[in-house]
Amino acid sequence: MKRIILGLAIILMTSTAAVAIDRWVHIKVEDGGADGEIVRVNVPLSLAEKVLPAINTKELRGGKVKCEETKIEDVDLRAILEAVRTAPDNEFVTVESKRNHVRVAKSAGHLLVKVREGNATEKEQQETVDVSIPFPVIDALLSGAKDELDVLAAVRALSTIGDTVLVTVDDRNSKVRIWVDSRNTTE
Amino acid sequence: MPTGPGMVAGGAGTLALAAAVVGSAFVYEMGAVRISVQSKKPGGEHIRLVVPAVAAPIAMQFAPKRDLQRAVEDAGPYLPAIKIALEELAKCPDGPFVQVTSPHEKVNISKQGDALVIDVDDEGETVHISVPLKAAGVVVAQLESIPPPGRGEQAASAEGPAL
Repeated sequence: MKRIILGLAIILMTSTAAVAIDRWVHIKVEDGGADGEIVRVNVPLSLAEKVLPAINTKELRGGKVKCEETKIEDVDLRAILEAVRTAPDNEFVTVESKRNHVRVAKSAGHLLVKVREGNATEKEQQETVDVSIPFPVIDALLSGAKDELDVLAAVRALSTIGDTVLVTVDDRNSKVRIWVDSRNTTE
Repeated sequence: MPTGPGMVAGGAGTLALAAAVVGSAFVYEMGAVRISVQSKKPGGEHIRLVVPAVAAPIAMQFAPKRDLQRAVEDAGPYLPAIKIALEELAKCPDGPFVQVTSPHEKVNISKQGDALVIDVDDEGETVHISVPLKAAGVVVAQLESIPPPGRGEQAASAEGPAL
């Protein structure tokens, strides 16, 4: 996970550029293992914005990722997101079981996904995932053709929104936090 | 007004001085690659290396062509992006880009002034590398100009054997 995030950050760094150097995406990964390694990555969004169009690989071209289809097991994600976007704030999906609690909601212009896995009575054993994506970013991501995700447009949209925490993952082995703000350091 | 050999010598001297000034200005503009490796063993060595960054593109001329082609083949799709990233990094404020901290080592990749700085501090040694962004950009541009393996040889064989 840590390597993937680090790799992603390096790709962003080497595949982006600078418009106004005032918005930064930060990634912090804390390994809860014996080594207790902490990785911090700070990338100016403007850098990513310039570099992305310059990367031309099989998967990523002109800042867009080609997807065979945005359907997973016959579920059209694009259609669902469009329906959610136009709907009023609400809780759309709630799955509760003894070990899992999943919640998908729309609130204050953000798509929220909350996952709680594990025994709720033993907080240390619980794994939590919180994702909060502003809808302008989702719109931008889906603004291209049906079979592609416009990552460049999403980065541009991200640079126009305020300070926000996008992803928080907390499990027994590691903590991951991805957020956007105007500072060039994580602390 | 001096004429003859004196004038020629004076002119050559002026040219040499101008070339030295321009050359020095260019070397200064490109900066220097600084490498420092300090061993933590008792009596361990401390190696310091300061190389004018302008030497890097020149050194590439002497590198084995096949190795350079292999490097270009591997990094090819990313070279334009790296080139742009280096240009854009120059506009970024100074600060850390990547920091890895563990009980055994600390790695810090940051921008300091016009240079990309890499610091590694582990149990065995302390390493400090500073690479001027401008010089790195020149090296990347030079790598971009290297034809991928096969193309150069094909062109050469199409032209016929060298005489």
